[in-house]
Amino acid sequence: MMCERVREQLPECLAGKLDKAERERVIGHLETCSACRNELAELGIVWRGLESMAAPEPNRAMRTRFMEMMEAYQAGMEQAPPKRTAPPAETSRSRWLAWWPSQPAWQMAVACALLIAGVAAGRYYAGVPKEMSPEMAQLKGQVEGLRQLVALSLLQAQSPSDRLRGVSFSSQISRPDADVEQSLLRAVNHDPNVNVRLSAVDAIEKYTADPAVRRALVDAVAVQDSPIVQCALIDLLAEVNDRDSAPALRKLVQDGQVDAVVRGRAILAIRKLEVTK
Amino acid sequence: MQAVRSGEVGKLELLFDRHHRGLFHYFLHVTSNSAVSEDLVQEVFFRILKYRHTYQTGTAVRPWMYQIGRNALIDHVGRNKGEVALPDGAGDFRSPDAEPDRQAQSNQEAALLKRALRAMPREKREVIVMSRFLELKYEEIATVLNCEVGTVKVRVHRALRELGDRFFALRGERAS
Repeated sequence: MMCERVREQLPECLAGKLDKAERERVIGHLETCSACRNELAELGIVWRGLESMAAPEPNRAMRTRFMEMMEAYQAGMEQAPPKRTAPPAETSRSRWLAWWPSQPAWQMAVACALLIAGVAAGRYYAGVPKEMSPEMAQLKGQVEGLRQLVALSLLQAQSPSDRLRGVSFSSQISRPDADVEQSLLRAVNHDPNVNVRLSAVDAIEKYTADPAVRRALVDAVAVQDSPIVQCALIDLLAEVNDRDSAPALRKLVQDGQVDAVVRGRAILAIRKLEVTK
Repeated sequence: MQAVRSGEVGKLELLFDRHHRGLFHYFLHVTSNSAVSEDLVQEVFFRILKYRHTYQTGTAVRPWMYQIGRNALIDHVGRNKGEVALPDGAGDFRSPDAEPDRQAQSNQEAALLKRALRAMPREKREVIVMSRFLELKYEEIATVLNCEVGTVKVRVHRALRELGDRFFALRGERAS
């Protein structure tokens, strides 16, 4: 029993966390018990060995990602409407109940009248030319901001399917946004999942008017380890007619280490770029 | 944390600077994958923002934070049950200033110990990580694991004992 209790204290003893009285009690036992001394010696080897396993420093980009997450969160909080105190559920329900007829026949009549009014209003408004009211424009802006927040947040999620949803959300943003652009570029270059990278290549097309994005995509072709993603990038560069990418593509064609399919795709892209000169 | 809880979310930056390394090391030692560990750290701080109202005023931040971290880790493990985690080499820890021969021997020992640690069940690995690498107090570990301090004492000892058995078996000094 004594041995068991002392052994449970050995990790604390090795960590120097025992108080004086307990340490003396453990030492007193160790002087008389060779089995516990052996246990201490073995645990000591392991304990000290673990010291050499100090983990490396985390990537500095982690802080940048954290700050992006904070900004997105704070922007989301600013855009959220202030909370209002909801009226008691009972009151609002009783107001509706007072209005609603109690006879089933009248209930049916009111329901039919509402249906007819709805259909008529729908037909009328379908013919009216659409002009966006300021409220509508504001609402649209808020939805746009929300999409952007959701996209940024999902692009940082752990699960590949969430990140795919993030890419999909980013495609729904009509206004180009610098943060989303950077997140998509990061996904193209660094996402561990090939499907996410492929989707990010598709989604970034709307940002290719920016020469910096096109340059980043050219650089990405060379560093990608997935031939499918390389092909998608090459196709995109040809699609947006990025003539500046031709030298990099030629270099790729001459590189024997590059996948044959990728080289073939690069040859086609170079031809396309030359034709459209 | 009290300020973050009451709405000054910008103060979370201070907590990030203070704790992100510890959290990263916790996840790295348990998952052996630096990319996953970085994602999990982000997830922890996102959850802290989201669930900041659950922080109880006056209680220690570190155990509460590692509780969130542990839940994020459990969720991650649950989601990726079918996937085999590929260690990325970031866990190849070395001591930088040893002489070549001793360095080689020490590297070999460290590699065996690392293998032994990786082979352990996650629950046992994490009590070693918490007590040895993060130097959490037993009281703090008890809060994270939601158990008694006495239970932590027993778990740490048993985990260390098992790690020793596995390590000495890999060195050929004991039957596995």
